[in-house]
Amino acid sequence: MRVSIYRFNPETDAKPRMQDYDVAPEAGDKKLLDVLMRLKTMDDSLSFRRSCREGVCGSDAMNINGRNGLACLTSLPGLKEPVVLRPLPGFPVIRDLIVDMTQFFAHYHSIKPYLINNEVPPERERLQSPAEREKLNGLYECILCACCSAFCPSFWWNPDKFIGPAGLLQAYRFIADSRDTATAARLAYLDDVYRLYRCRTIMNCTEVCPKGLSPSHAIERIRLALVRESS
Amino acid sequence: MRLFLGQRAWVLQRVTALVLLILLALGAATLLTGPSRSYEGWHALATSTHGAVLIVVFFAALCLHGWIGVRDIVLDYIHAPALRLPLLALIAVILFAIFIRVVLTMAAHFAGGA
Ligand code: SF4
Ligand code: SF4
Ligand code: FES
Repeated sequence: MRVSIYRFNPETDAKPRMQDYDVAPEAGDKKLLDVLMRLKTMDDSLSFRRSCREGVCGSDAMNINGRNGLACLTSLPGLKEPVVLRPLPGFPVIRDLIVDMTQFFAHYHSIKPYLINNEVPPERERLQSPAEREKLNGLYECILCACCSAFCPSFWWNPDKFIGPAGLLQAYRFIADSRDTATAARLAYLDDVYRLYRCRTIMNCTEVCPKGLSPSHAIERIRLALVRESS
Repeated sequence: MRLFLGQRAWVLQRVTALVLLILLALGAATLLTGPSRSYEGWHALATSTHGAVLIVVFFAALCLHGWIGVRDIVLDYIHAPALRLPLLALIAVILFAIFIRVVLTMAAHFAGGA
């Protein structure tokens, strides 16, 4: 199978280039990541991130044939050849398929991604009703792979100011949490032309999320919560 | 200023869109049917109190809606403050001028016609 990979080493290359590889997948190779690992044994200068190899850590997000996805969740059958692999669009490239996630995580931290509740803790855990717990489904599963934010045109234009779909989905995860007491402050922080309202409901984020989540739906819920808050 | 930032602007954009949609449908329906199909007909309608108020409301909604929309495009694509601020000011002035022109035209009709 033929794979064409974006190569860039800032120490030696003036410009990025595409490098073609021919590789024969072996019997156990099921996912694109298996092929990348095989390529790595052929050319150890090839750089990419990976860890869990099962769609849990979120480190092997990349642009696969024009679409962001996790190499470890992308099945080999059905992949159009040559398979063109590029780093996540809109993110600064560190080397080959490795991008700089600093800004992405800065946005994530800005939404205070932890439960805020300064009331005296109960003897045991803070309880939730099944209905309250249900509201977190589709939110807590996010693995912060950045496939969505790196596929969002609004994030490409304003990556420094727009929180982006991943950060906003995480923000809603805590807004929706019945145990969190900082809802008003969280909403007030998001009520901003840039942080939230750069989203134009293009829905690339929902389309591309490898975990099947819907950041655009979460964003809609934040907007509605803001309207309810102010009326 | 909060009227034009964040949530308020987003709500305003949707409300004005709704107003525009309703008035446009209403306007199309009256212009295509009934007596206002002739020039005299729609002229009389436009210079009646109801017609004039609806026309002013329509242009107010149009200008506000246009402002939020164009402002969003500028915020997305034009990042240099030296370019952005004059451009936003220019757009605001143009939209405001359109609105004032409409108000003055309607007012002139009433002043002249009364
Ligand atoms: S919402 Fe989906 S695509 Fe976005 S970071 Fe989370 S898991 Fe990745
Ligand atoms: S719905 Fe919003 S966050 Fe998602 S891709 Fe579109 S603009 Fe970006
Ligand atoms: S390697 Fe962990 S998500 Fe793909």
